[in-house]
Amino acid sequence: MKKYTLNEITFMQYILLNFGMVVSIGFLSLPRVLAEQAGTAGWIALIIVWVISIVASLIVIQVMKRYPDGTLLDLLSMYLGKWAGKAGAVLFALYLFYYGYTGLVYTILISKQYLLQQTPDYIIMLLLLIPTYVIVRNGPRILGRYVEVIILLSLWIPFVYLIPLKDAHWLRLLPVLKEGWKPVFAALPYTLYYHIGFSTTFILYPFLKNKRKAAAGIVISYTLTMLMYLFITVICFVYFSPDEILEYNEPTINVLKAIEFKFISRIEVLFIAFYLLIFSLSWIPTMYMSVFCTTWLIGKQDHRNHLRLLWLFIAVGTYFFMPTFFQSERMNTLLGQIGFVVEYLVPGCLLLYVWIHDRLGWRKHL
Amino acid sequence: MNKRLLHAILIATVIVIIASCSDRLDMEDATHALLVGFDLDKENELILYSTSPVFSKNVEKKTRELRVKPQTNRQSRGKQDSYTEGVFQGRSIQVLLLSKRILQQENWFQLTDVWFRDPKNPLTPRIIAFDGPLSEIIYLNPKDQPMLPILLREMVETKNARSETVKTTLQGLHQQIREKGVTPIISEVRLKDKQIAITGTTLLDHKGKYADSLNMQETILLRILQKNTKKSVNLTIPIPGEMKIGPFHTDKVSLNADEIKVKIKTSFLKDKFQFHMHITMRVGLSELLFPFDVRSQGKELENKITEQVQMNFENLIKKIQTDKIDPIGLGLYAQAHEYSHFKKVEDHWGETLANADIHVSVKTIIGAMGTVK
Repeated sequence: MKKYTLNEITFMQYILLNFGMVVSIGFLSLPRVLAEQAGTAGWIALIIVWVISIVASLIVIQVMKRYPDGTLLDLLSMYLGKWAGKAGAVLFALYLFYYGYTGLVYTILISKQYLLQQTPDYIIMLLLLIPTYVIVRNGPRILGRYVEVIILLSLWIPFVYLIPLKDAHWLRLLPVLKEGWKPVFAALPYTLYYHIGFSTTFILYPFLKNKRKAAAGIVISYTLTMLMYLFITVICFVYFSPDEILEYNEPTINVLKAIEFKFISRIEVLFIAFYLLIFSLSWIPTMYMSVFCTTWLIGKQDHRNHLRLLWLFIAVGTYFFMPTFFQSERMNTLLGQIGFVVEYLVPGCLLLYVWIHDRLGWRKHL
Repeated sequence: MNKRLLHAILIATVIVIIASCSDRLDMEDATHALLVGFDLDKENELILYSTSPVFSKNVEKKTRELRVKPQTNRQSRGKQDSYTEGVFQGRSIQVLLLSKRILQQENWFQLTDVWFRDPKNPLTPRIIAFDGPLSEIIYLNPKDQPMLPILLREMVETKNARSETVKTTLQGLHQQIREKGVTPIISEVRLKDKQIAITGTTLLDHKGKYADSLNMQETILLRILQKNTKKSVNLTIPIPGEMKIGPFHTDKVSLNADEIKVKIKTSFLKDKFQFHMHITMRVGLSELLFPFDVRSQGKELENKITEQVQMNFENLIKKIQTDKIDPIGLGLYAQAHEYSHFKKVEDHWGETLANADIHVSVKTIIGAMGTVK
C-alpha cells in the first residue's frame, strides 16, 4: 500500500516547506495591507489569524489521518469515487499551478522594477525556470532539502531588519486600538489571504516520515509564520508613520533603503537578489505538486514529462503574455480568495463528510 | 556523447542569455552626480545644480558643476546629459542642497518624487539647507578642501555624531513630513567669509516650508529633548554674577553632559495639552573661566548650572512655540497618550502645540570636576 515511501521527507523539512510557501512573497506587502485596513492595530489581526489558521490546518491533518498512506486524491477517490478523485486532481493541479504562476509573475515584476529594468520579462522568466526545473524534476526529498538550505541561508535576514530600529518611534504603536476593534476585524480576510499555503499537507502527508508529528509540525510552522509576519509588521509600523506606510507598495523593502554602509549604497538591491531564493519557495513546491496531480491523473509515477510540458508552456507563454503590475495585484487577491475556499472551507466540509461517512458505515466498497 | 553535447549547448545558451542582460552600464559611460542642488532664480524658475567627479588624467579640476533649468527633477537628467560625456546617473547622490528660496515655497518636496518612485535611486542623500543662492557655494571649489559633496557629507556625519546638527536623509525627511505629530529638521550650512561652515539646523513646518534656524547649542538641546543624543554632548553656558574681564568671556562654564535622561509626561487639561519634561543629566566640568572653588561650593555651582540650562531649554521651547512647529515630536506623545484629543487637531498640530503648556524641569549633577580644583 505504501507507494510513496521512497521519497520521504523529515519533520523539519515538512515544517519549513509549509513555512516557506506561506511566507515567500507575502511578507513584502503585508505591512502595507494591514496598515491600510487597521492602521497600527493591524498586528492584532495577525495573532487572530494565526489561531484560525492553526485550527484550519489541524482539520486538514484530521482529514488526512483517515488515509495515512495516500494523498488527498487517493482519499477522494476512496470516499467519493474514482471520478471525484479525478476532478479533485484537475482542480487541485490548477490551483497549485495558479499559486506558482502568481509567485513567478510577482517575482519577475519585483526584480524587473528593482534590478533589471531593461531586461525583457521572458528572459528573467527563463533564468528563473532553469534552476526550477533542476530541482522540481527530483521529487519531494530534494524539494525538502532545497527548502531547508534556503531557510538556513536566510537566517541572517531578521538581524538586518533590526538596524533601521534606531530611527524608529515605538510610541507609534500606542494607543493599541486607535479606532476600536472594527478595523481589526475588517483586516481579517485580507490577513487570511496571506496565510494560504498549507495545502502542501494534502499532497505531502503520505511522504512524511513520522506522521504522528504532523500536527505538531503544522503548529510550529504557523507559529514561525506568525512570528515572522509580526516581526516585519511591527518593524514597519514603528519605522514608518501610519500615513507614510500607505505610500509604499513594498514597505518591507523600503525599510532597508535607510541602511547605509560606507562601502555600499543601495543595500536593498542585494536583498532583492537574495530574496529571489525565498520567493522561489512559492513556485518550486507548488509546481512539483501541480505536476504530481496531473501525473496521478493518468496513473503514472514519473512526473518529469509533465514538468517539461508545463515548463515549456510557461516559458513560451511569457513571451506572448506577461501580466502588468495591476493584473499581478489582482491575481494575488484572487489567489487569496481561491486559497481561502480550497484550504479553509473545503477541508472543513471534507472532514464533516468523512466523519458522517465513517459513522454510518458507508464503506462497503472497500 | 550525446548527453554531453546537450549539456554543452544548454550551458552555452545560459551564458549567452545572462551576458545579454540589457541593464549593463559601463563606468566610462556614466556620469555620477554626487550632489544635487535646487534653487529658484529671480523669476521663480527652478534651477538645478549638480556636481559630479571627473575621472580623467588630463583634466586639472576634479569636479564638474552643471547648472540647468528644467521644469521637473527627472527632466533635468536629459538636460544634463547633453553637457556630459556619459549618461547622467542619480544613483550615487550623497547630498541634496536646498537654497533658502526653495525652502520658502510650500510644496517643493514634490520635486523629490522621482527618487522615491524610481527604485534605482538611493534614499540616503543628506538634506542640507543653504542660506543664500546656491551659485555661491557650488562654484566655490576651495583648493584646500575635498570636493564639496564629500566635504558636506563628512561634515554632517561628524557633527551629527556630536549632536551639533542632524543627519536627515531623504527617506528621513519623507518620514518627518508625512508624520503629523512631527515637523522636519535638516542640517544647515552657511558661508562665513568664503568658508563653508555647518551652523546648526533648519526647522521646517508641516509642509516643508522654512520656519526657523537653530545654532549648534540649540540643536544639542533640541536633540536632548528628542532623546536622540549620541555619546556625550558639550554645552557652554554663562553663569550670571561672574565678572567679565577684558575681551574674554570669563563668565562661562563648559560642560560635558552624559547619561541624559528625559521623561515626558503628557496630559490633557482645560482644553490644552500639557507636557511635563523632566531632564536629568550628569555633567562633567570641562572648562571654567572664572575662579571658583568647586570642591567646597559644588552645590552652589550645580544650582547655577541647573538654572541656566533650564532657561536655555525654556527659550528653545518658546522659540518653537512661536514658530508653530514641533521638531521635538511631542505630537507622537500626544497621539500615544491622548489619542482622541490628538485626532481632532492632528492636521494643525503646530498651532495646537503653540497653545500647549510645556513645562521643563532640569536637574544637573556634577559628576566630575576634572583634574583641577
